[in-house]
Amino acid sequence: MTRREGSRVLVLGAGVAGLSCARALADAGRPVEVLERARGVGGRCATRRVEGQPVDFGVAFLHGRDPGFLAALAEVPARRLDGWPVAMLGAGRPCQPEAFTPGESRLAFAEGISAFPRHLAAGLPVTLRANAVAVEPEGAALRVRLEGGGAAEAPVVVLALAAEQAHELLGTVPGPPPAVASARALLDQARSQACLALIAVYPPEAQPPAWHCCYPDGSRVLQLAVHDSSKRAAPDATVLVLQAHPRWSREHLDDPAWPERLLEEGGRVVGPWAARPRHQEPHSWRHARHDRSAELAAPLLLGLPGGARLGLCGDRFAPGGGVEAAWRSGRALAHRILQEVP
Amino acid sequence: MRQPELDPLRALVQRDQDHECEGFGAARTCVRVVAVADLPTRFGHFRLVGFWNNRDAKEHVAMVHGEVVGGEEVPVRLHSECLTGDVMGSLRCDCRDQLTEGLAAIRRHERGVLLYLRQEGRGIGLINKIRAYALQEAGLDTVEANLALGFRDDERDYAVGAHMIHSLGIRSIRLITNNPNKVAQLTQHRVVVSDRIPHVIQPNEFNRFYLETKARKSGHYLEAGGAGRLQEQADPAVVAREAGQEPKA
Repeated sequence: MTRREGSRVLVLGAGVAGLSCARALADAGRPVEVLERARGVGGRCATRRVEGQPVDFGVAFLHGRDPGFLAALAEVPARRLDGWPVAMLGAGRPCQPEAFTPGESRLAFAEGISAFPRHLAAGLPVTLRANAVAVEPEGAALRVRLEGGGAAEAPVVVLALAAEQAHELLGTVPGPPPAVASARALLDQARSQACLALIAVYPPEAQPPAWHCCYPDGSRVLQLAVHDSSKRAAPDATVLVLQAHPRWSREHLDDPAWPERLLEEGGRVVGPWAARPRHQEPHSWRHARHDRSAELAAPLLLGLPGGARLGLCGDRFAPGGGVEAAWRSGRALAHRILQEVP
Repeated sequence: MRQPELDPLRALVQRDQDHECEGFGAARTCVRVVAVADLPTRFGHFRLVGFWNNRDAKEHVAMVHGEVVGGEEVPVRLHSECLTGDVMGSLRCDCRDQLTEGLAAIRRHERGVLLYLRQEGRGIGLINKIRAYALQEAGLDTVEANLALGFRDDERDYAVGAHMIHSLGIRSIRLITNNPNKVAQLTQHRVVVSDRIPHVIQPNEFNRFYLETKARKSGHYLEAGGAGRLQEQADPAVVAREAGQEPKA
């Protein structure tokens, strides 16, 4: 049994950034606790069961080249699909073009993408459905107030949230101290991109397509069609996940008819069959990814007047974007906390 | 029959065509001399030497005055690219004054080299530099923010500069700088620094505004129309009080 020593760290957000930060701190023997607003861990590395079959409705596959990140992926106890996606259709621009550059490793898991965050979270004290609504300095500690009452306190609090959510939460810090104002201004310089995603399940007579991923080059609506069921060992049904372009997504966030429009475009691009699923489930990612032009070099670790520390990490806080950047930013922040906070 | 002697700088291009060493600094950067040409400038005649490096697409250059290959005690100035200052004449920094004074200083000597390092905005790039300016306009404590934007306490990568000095076959240098740390950094990379020449900006009609503002401020930073500044170059400028005044170390 490892004895836990040093300042306790409270991590808000159980996405890959928060979990990677918490994991690295816990592995170094620090007492750490994770609070997550949702019902499960993983954030945008999201898998849900549709008719018993796992479907990745956020991140479609993982990619990277950082040896540490690839080693972390290698530890995941799941069936790896190395190189996935292999069969590609279309010449459209991928959300992360470097995913398909030489030297980049790509992979998926047959059990679903969420196998990765679930593995990171294994053994960590994670409290689900705990939504932080305010952060207030309390002597040398920070007090995090939760929705519906209740609070948590720690000398170090890490915000591993989408930039907009972190910005909002920082706005609740009374004062605010100059470091907090500065961080808010930094976050305010760029917005996350939205992504409307639609899970579409097709009848048995639908012929599964020959491709894994399709990036259409002639659509301003559909950015990516993922043949999700091609990741599963013995799929019962053909499942596509349709992801809309950032601009179109932003413009249609509040349009109740977006799933039909996206399906219509899917039918136009992929084939008429794709417009007629027997079952569909929409999901709106308001903060799907950040624009690469907004990326930052390093996570933040702010010092507050009473002596408490407030950290920020996430995919925007490391070069490269995506899950790899999220993981790296969490690790980098953990490293700084271990070095700077006894 | 005597062969016409090959220009020593051009000979470096030939020498380096298959050059590969273990590299300098943490990134193990290795550079090659790949192109040489004359460059008449308003500051005098220089030879421009282009360097390729194996780590990034940054095309570093050296402005060479006089015979430096194989030379000893060659005056050398390291200048980091600053588009806003060098080209646009920004008053948020003193980069253009530092650059022109660097070139003028080299011309005052029999020979010398200005290494123009392409590390815009202290290595963070132009866009993040603009973001940092925007944060300053909000009057913010930007230490952490700068860190996230890519600024480190001293971002300079002297490894590339050191390799460039070695590539030019310079045996020892007189470093034009006000920053003793630069000397130490270069020495770490086996550059023999025999002397330090203070980098002192001579007042003239173009930088009078700068001087006047400077006189009102005790620090190194100038307030240009209320806009905050970032120190772009690794060493703060020292300005002679009167025209013609000799610099003091």
